Amino acid sequence: MLHSRSIRIGSWVLLIALSLTMIVPLINVIATSLTTKTGSLQPGVILWPDPVSVEGYYTLMNRMRIWLPFMNTMYVTIVGTAAHVLLCCVAGYALSREDLPGRNWIVGGILLTLAIPTQTLLVPLFIVFRDLGLLNTLLSLIIVDLVTAFSIVLMKTYFEQVPREIVESAQLDGAGHFRLFWNFYLPLSLPGVITITVYEMVKKYNLFIHPLLFISDPDKTTLQIALQSVVGGESSTSTNDFIAPNVMMAGIVVAIVPLLVFFAFFQRYLMSGVSAGGVKG
Amino acid sequence: MAVTDDMSPREGAGLLRIRLGRVRSSLKRYWPYYLMIAPALIWLAMFLAWPMLQGILISFQKFGLMGSQGYVGFDNYLEALQDRTVIQATINTVLITIGITISGTLLPIIPAIALAEITPRPMRSLLQSAIYAPHLLGWVIIIGIWVNVLSPIGLVNSILNGLGLIDGPIPFFSSPHWGQPLVIGLTTWKDLGFHALIYYAALMTLNTELIEAAAMDGANGLQRIRDVVIPHLMPAIRVVLLITVLGASHTFDSAFLMLNGRTAETVRTLAIFTYERGILRFDLGVASAAGVILLIFSLLLGLGVRMLPGFKRQGL
Repeated sequence: MLHSRSIRIGSWVLLIALSLTMIVPLINVIATSLTTKTGSLQPGVILWPDPVSVEGYYTLMNRMRIWLPFMNTMYVTIVGTAAHVLLCCVAGYALSREDLPGRNWIVGGILLTLAIPTQTLLVPLFIVFRDLGLLNTLLSLIIVDLVTAFSIVLMKTYFEQVPREIVESAQLDGAGHFRLFWNFYLPLSLPGVITITVYEMVKKYNLFIHPLLFISDPDKTTLQIALQSVVGGESSTSTNDFIAPNVMMAGIVVAIVPLLVFFAFFQRYLMSGVSAGGVKG
Repeated sequence: MAVTDDMSPREGAGLLRIRLGRVRSSLKRYWPYYLMIAPALIWLAMFLAWPMLQGILISFQKFGLMGSQGYVGFDNYLEALQDRTVIQATINTVLITIGITISGTLLPIIPAIALAEITPRPMRSLLQSAIYAPHLLGWVIIIGIWVNVLSPIGLVNSILNGLGLIDGPIPFFSSPHWGQPLVIGLTTWKDLGFHALIYYAALMTLNTELIEAAAMDGANGLQRIRDVVIPHLMPAIRVVLLITVLGASHTFDSAFLMLNGRTAETVRTLAIFTYERGILRFDLGVASAAGVILLIFSLLLGLGVRMLPGFKRQGL
């Protein structure tokens, strides 16, 4: 593009160096997770496990019972995302109706909520969820982010693109809201639906502040919180119970693999949301 | 409003009746639509507007073990503003916000230009994905990875030691000096690919004839970047600046996960303070006052950035 040899060479060097800042630490993490407890405590950088051992994963599964928080996170991610997509699509559908009285007011109000960051409301959020009896329930984590201005507005924009002629001829055939929505609006806006779905799934999977605030029952804890105590070595009270790096890194791998697999499949939608998000910030 | 002073009460009442009639007939026609929007609006009212109102109300009350002991005016705010921890947390928040905003907005321009420069398309998207990937990872994972890499016996210290650049290992995660640089650096690293993608999308609409014309005029590579590419990127830079500054002002996860006895002084942000004071120590009044201060700070910051030249024209 710039027709400059030196810039082109520099570009290669820079990009490869940058991707190595992701790839090398990842290899380091995977290799460490596959060594023995004593092996992971040796000084020196591990880029290839020797001897290979699944001791770390074994400890993680049996002693730390990581599958329990993992299942909790999966439950919250799947149910929470499904509810989120349904509510935001339905609201977006109604708001895509241009002649709806008060539409601009409602959309303006929804957009205003973008200015309120959760992090400033930690105390009152705790109080509200406590008063509703939602503390220590996975339902509280499903309720979090159930509706976002981003998703509603994105779906509204997609639904507005649905050609009027199709809608009108379907209405003449006697199609009601449900059929219009299900047979025409949703299929024609599928990229939008997938975009908000994958975004919300990643968000739910990575929830951190909310489980930190709402969940104290170890049976209801989520993957990120469980991982935090593994990585932070919170339960290393006695020398016997010391969590070695191989266990910590096994935890990181267990958490990272679903995300990377997910990324491989839905990369296009995750990265295309950028331009959609960029439009309205 | 059509009702003016010189109108008789009867005419006013008539107009009101017409207006109400119109509302009623549109409700009759559009009620299914309102019904579909209702759940979303109820959610926003219950879990966003109501907590915000609660936060403001709590910040004016005194709390004891038995709950609220009544309204105390601005006492909590005065107490918060005189608290040494709050002052330090405010300074940290401002410094972290400035750092993340500058590096998070400007640095991703470089990889974006680099991505547009390299040719085999599959290679380009592969590198793009590798750089983008950290954006998807939660902070627990990011910190977990880097604690390992930056540990005293980890990759970075081993390399620095091997090159003879340091005498002893750098205690990255247990040093007050490294706290803020790490919060800023890791946030920039996490979002680098995401922001670069926004810039890259903007670069794809750049008219290459402009660059060729600049080349004809004898501009070298860097001059072409400065005179053609950067001006073209300005709208995207504004978008990224706004996203970054708003995200940075309420930093929580990253700093919270790096917080320990030795780093607390330098990485405790206002958001973390509200958590420690309100949730862990249950001093709701002062914590809420700090929360409201943070909310006002972040609202003003958003408004302030939007006042910069070009933002209004761009509809941001």
